[in-house]
Amino acid sequence: MSDFKLVWKNLMRRKLRTFLMLFAILIAFMIFGVLAALEQAFDSNASSSGDRLMIVNKINFTQPLPISYVQRVRALEGVKQVAHMNWFGGYYQEPRNQITTFAVDPGSYIDVYQSEFEVPDAGRRVFLSEKTSVIVGKTAADKWGWKVGDHIPLNSNIFSQKNGARVWDVTVAAIVTPKKETADANFIALRYDYFDETRSFGKDQIGWMALTTTSAAYNDRLVKQIDEMFANSPYETSTDTEKAFSKAFVAQLGNIALMVGLVVGAAFITILMIVGNTMAMAVRERTREIGVLKTLGFPGPRILKMVLGESLLLAVLGGVTGMLIAAAATTALRGAVGNFVGGLAITPVIMVMGAVMMLLLGLITGLMPAMSAMRLPIVQALGRS
Amino acid sequence: MSLASQVSAVVSMNVKSIGQRFWPSVSTALAVALVVVVLLSFLAMANGFQKTMRGAGRDDIAIVLRAGSQAELNSGLTRDQVRLIGEGPGVVRDANGDAVISSELYLIVDGVKRDTGTKANLPLRGIGAAGAGLRDGLKIVEGRMFASGANELLVGRALQREFRGFDVGSTVRFGKTQWTVVGAFETGGTVFESEFWADLPVVQSLFNRGAAVQTVRAKMTSPEAVAQLKAYSDNDPRLKLDVVSENAYFADQASGTTNLIAKLGWPLAIAMAFGAIAGALNTMYSSVASRTREIATLRAIGYGGFPAFVGTLVESLVLAAIGGVIGAAAAFLFFDGLSAATLGASFTQVVFQFALTPALMLNGLILGMVIGLIGGLLPAMRAARIPIVAGLAER
Repeated sequence: MSDFKLVWKNLMRRKLRTFLMLFAILIAFMIFGVLAALEQAFDSNASSSGDRLMIVNKINFTQPLPISYVQRVRALEGVKQVAHMNWFGGYYQEPRNQITTFAVDPGSYIDVYQSEFEVPDAGRRVFLSEKTSVIVGKTAADKWGWKVGDHIPLNSNIFSQKNGARVWDVTVAAIVTPKKETADANFIALRYDYFDETRSFGKDQIGWMALTTTSAAYNDRLVKQIDEMFANSPYETSTDTEKAFSKAFVAQLGNIALMVGLVVGAAFITILMIVGNTMAMAVRERTREIGVLKTLGFPGPRILKMVLGESLLLAVLGGVTGMLIAAAATTALRGAVGNFVGGLAITPVIMVMGAVMMLLLGLITGLMPAMSAMRLPIVQALGRS
Repeated sequence: MSLASQVSAVVSMNVKSIGQRFWPSVSTALAVALVVVVLLSFLAMANGFQKTMRGAGRDDIAIVLRAGSQAELNSGLTRDQVRLIGEGPGVVRDANGDAVISSELYLIVDGVKRDTGTKANLPLRGIGAAGAGLRDGLKIVEGRMFASGANELLVGRALQREFRGFDVGSTVRFGKTQWTVVGAFETGGTVFESEFWADLPVVQSLFNRGAAVQTVRAKMTSPEAVAQLKAYSDNDPRLKLDVVSENAYFADQASGTTNLIAKLGWPLAIAMAFGAIAGALNTMYSSVASRTREIATLRAIGYGGFPAFVGTLVESLVLAAIGGVIGAAAAFLFFDGLSAATLGASFTQVVFQFALTPALMLNGLILGMVIGLIGGLLPAMRAARIPIVAGLAER
């Protein structure tokens, strides 16, 4: 009989008890998986931004900047391309069907963000040439069943047209897919020229700029240079990396990492206690058996390994199942929370963290009982009832 | 021996024997406590946020926004629209016959959060002369009201608590403009305390907004008059407006975030509860197993199966109750009154305090008892069915 078989038999000796422990472990890892994915999704909105810089109004990023700034930034040494964007407050049919909508200059927008999205060539040409065309993220397109060529009545909860209309009629030029699984694709980009000449107020204003540089070496200098250039103007700027900007934005939601940490911590302390106790109980029940094994010549370390193997097997079986359920749950949740946090997914990093926690759980819960089993003198073990 | 005295004898034996299985019992109670803490922390957060938003609204104040704008930030009204609203039915007039309305501008400026040191969106509200009078329970707790026409700011107490650099007397720069903080106010913990207030014309001119306003608050003669004003606005083609009571507006603003928090809290707590039930079942099965001989002995001297059932169930419920109470107490200690800030529906920071009510704590205790009930039920049934002869033979 191999050691593994012995471990397995021990584990299956009380099926109900084993099943209950597996279940508790599964729940904890499921909670860990889902919450870690959620936190990662918040974070990845921050980390998916490459080396771009963001220029916003110094007062706050919701305050406008004049469009004339774009040319002045483009002229700076080291600047590769500058995209500008204006928040549109878009929704489809009902105010609650919000879609992240920006008014953009098509050429520079695609240039700056091409590392994030796959834009089909045909669609790109249409977006570049036709004023009322838009590009639509895959999540939004799938949700509302939009196809290339469809007309969409796009509402804004901020802007209205000069003629009093509250709806912009736009045509889908392309449906774009994010290159990263965790990127948010519930968005529409419409053309700034169309938007600016039709809107009833705010003409020649933009929301913010995003720029790429010819080399990251320029970044630090540009951050300073841009803000100095516009200092003491009616529209002072605040320039930073897109990463820093997104990070600060996520921080506005409150301390998500802390909340996630508290809940996951509570869940793990719970199973640590439950499984630890139960393992100790299970080994105590087997004291006589361990004595018999020792009499048969099993050395102490081998017995230690067998008990540890049992707790590890339990942690891995429960943990892997829990993570699989978490993976299924995040896929299912992806549509529901798309508006908020972009793509949810169990990434390799989360899997590795999960694996480490399974190992730790198995070792911690098994160590005490395993040590006492290893040290148990034969006579005492056989004598104990 | 009556059934009642049998039951009470077995129950007391069960409860007294908890100490013999000290660690398993502690782990069961603590597992319940942790589930309760997690649930209550989310409920206290949702409740605190809701209180902050809802407390701000009054039934007899109408808030007027551009149709479809959903939040004050997105709204915009023309001068004509403001005038027409002032002439509307049901609007209170002062001694001079002027409508008691406050035109307001709602802008976002940056502030630095004390705990993270990162920038966050703070609302700067330019209010008309009547504006302060339209807020319930307004108290200037430090300094004074801003002077009309001056670059002066009044700061909410909650905002001061969570963000740095806005003490009374300090100078604040928003872009090129400089402001002096002249006073701090309280409104009984409502969302207004997360705002800056300043004189409307000053805000308009320093932020290049011309004469633009975003919303109008109108004091109505009665809560019912809000509907009259709405009907008046709906019938006038010049007024494409949303007219709602301030109360309804803030309730709507609160709902999204409150729902999200509560919808996260319950599933998490229930998932954890399943884990805790598994733990309770393990503990209780081991309790039954260790007392097999004792139960069989009782059966042999004439006790029924029912007392054994009740005894085990009560033991489980006692453990759950202890855990539940510990959890509720810990949640109250750690979370009640905790100050936090998050991004509200207006895209600005809302500072609020976690608020744990007895009703919420009852929710937590009930969840704890359900864990005890389910965790005790199956083991109790096993206890009731222990066969006498085999049970006595058990070592």
